[in-house]
Amino acid sequence: MTAIRAWRIGLIALGLAFFVVGGITLLNDVNPARYLGIAIWFVGALVIHDGIISFVVFGANIVMRKTGGRLRIPLPALLIVQGALVVAGIMTLIVVPAALKKSIGTANPTLLPLDYGLHLLVFYGVLAGVTALALAVYGLLRRARRPTA
Amino acid sequence: MYILAVHRLLNGLRRSLAMPSRNPRMAVVIGRLLAIAFLLCFGTGIYSHFLQDPLPWMVFPTRPVSLYQVSQGVHITAGILCFPLLFAKLYIVFPELFQTPPVRSFPHFLERASIALFVASSIVQIVIGLLNTYQWYALFPFPFRQTHYALSFVIIGSLAIHIAIKLDVIAKHWRKGAPIEPLVIDGPVDPTVPSAPGTLTSSPGRNAVIRAEGVTGRLFDWIDKTPPAEPRTSRRGFLTIVGIASAAVVALTAGQSFKLFDGVNAFGARKQGIGPNGLPINRTAAAAKVEAVASDPDWVLTVLNGTETKTFTRAQLLAMQQYTVELPISCVEGWSQMASWKGVRLGDLVDSVGASGGTAIKATSLEQNSSYAIMHMGPEYVRDDLTLVALELNGEVLDLDHGYPARMIAPGRPGVLQTKWLSSLEVLS
Repeated sequence: MTAIRAWRIGLIALGLAFFVVGGITLLNDVNPARYLGIAIWFVGALVIHDGIISFVVFGANIVMRKTGGRLRIPLPALLIVQGALVVAGIMTLIVVPAALKKSIGTANPTLLPLDYGLHLLVFYGVLAGVTALALAVYGLLRRARRPTA
Repeated sequence: MYILAVHRLLNGLRRSLAMPSRNPRMAVVIGRLLAIAFLLCFGTGIYSHFLQDPLPWMVFPTRPVSLYQVSQGVHITAGILCFPLLFAKLYIVFPELFQTPPVRSFPHFLERASIALFVASSIVQIVIGLLNTYQWYALFPFPFRQTHYALSFVIIGSLAIHIAIKLDVIAKHWRKGAPIEPLVIDGPVDPTVPSAPGTLTSSPGRNAVIRAEGVTGRLFDWIDKTPPAEPRTSRRGFLTIVGIASAAVVALTAGQSFKLFDGVNAFGARKQGIGPNGLPINRTAAAAKVEAVASDPDWVLTVLNGTETKTFTRAQLLAMQQYTVELPISCVEGWSQMASWKGVRLGDLVDSVGASGGTAIKATSLEQNSSYAIMHMGPEYVRDDLTLVALELNGEVLDLDHGYPARMIAPGRPGVLQTKWLSSLEVLS
């Protein structure tokens, strides 16, 4: 038996053992009436991520590369803009629920005490500024590297 | 015919999704980081779980005093870090979703099922973890704590199985330098090969080109004409983006757990210094329905040891030797803050009813109908000099929302076990 095969068997056995513990915990500690709710979350997670978010990202990427190609925008410049959009997107996913929950109401004022909507707007602004700066720096570097261009 | 159409569609998708950053080496690089984050979350989560529900033989360390503050802070911060890392990992392997034929064999079916379980449970786990720090319980059609705990085993089990299945790929690309080939596409399609229009051949790949008509065909054709990304720049750009996104989500939220980041805490669920006595709270006196009983001037703390019983008014507690300790409040939700507490040593109180040596206690709150209204404390905490029945907080009288007239504060324990609105302490034999 090769080392890889031994590791494989060991890891799969370990994984199955963890499944057993997780399954028993679920059976013991969670009312079966709630299993449907968990299943809905699982399916929802796959549909929202694989079915929606991934394709939006894919579509945005294609459109940007096409536009970039047409306007002769160099790849690094395109990546800087794409990076800014990705960072903004992930931060939005994390912060918007906080802002929503705060607007619905919290158990006490020390929970979600910040102005999340405003902070997110400021974050977008700073990110746009940093992105513009990065593009400018890249443009200067590019010109310096190819003075004849 | 339908099978062919599906095959063509899936292959077209996989080809269109091919990107220089979508390669096995990148999957290994990001996968490693994600695995570390998952294991950090799991380890700290298990620690927090057993602090709350210890097995009979368990004894916990009380130093450093910030142990739980750090462990639970790491739990929540690593959990937030999982958002960019998990998205990056899923982005890299996205074309694999469209492999064709979708199921090749029974083992292949099991592999794909295990990955579906892994992906779904990972997404659900980090999302409910985040929403729990916002206390948005209404979105959960299940009990959070039990589900989060059970899923952690499903995820780590899936991780072990995933590593087992991908072991050869991981071994090959563990170090830099192995030739990086893009994710394999079954039935390669070469659009440059001319073929007679409308004639199906025995090659599925060729057929895909022949049938590049209709809406999907034209769409793929449009995508195929997208200018290709230069591989090296594309890969480096991808890693840079993941790095910046990770740094941003950590830096702007970690202030809820770590004072170092307080200045840039723009998005944390809590903010240091905000709350009565300059400290956040989780459960108010109103929510616990103890406002009346906790404000009652006739309140006494009852201390029991077998048949020996003593009661202490707040004035009597204040008349005892007072100690000041610096201990953090560290919530299971990950936020924490250092505070200055003043009060009576728990050890002195249990001594007053004749308890000797290492002793465990049961503390009861004025609060009713809460799973934390009764709290058990092992001897390692009871006999710790830093464990107080606190009467003052940050130089002021303990606020009603912080547990007035008296609350427990011990080193290295989660906030839910720092029982507020104390009613009685019972020495356990």
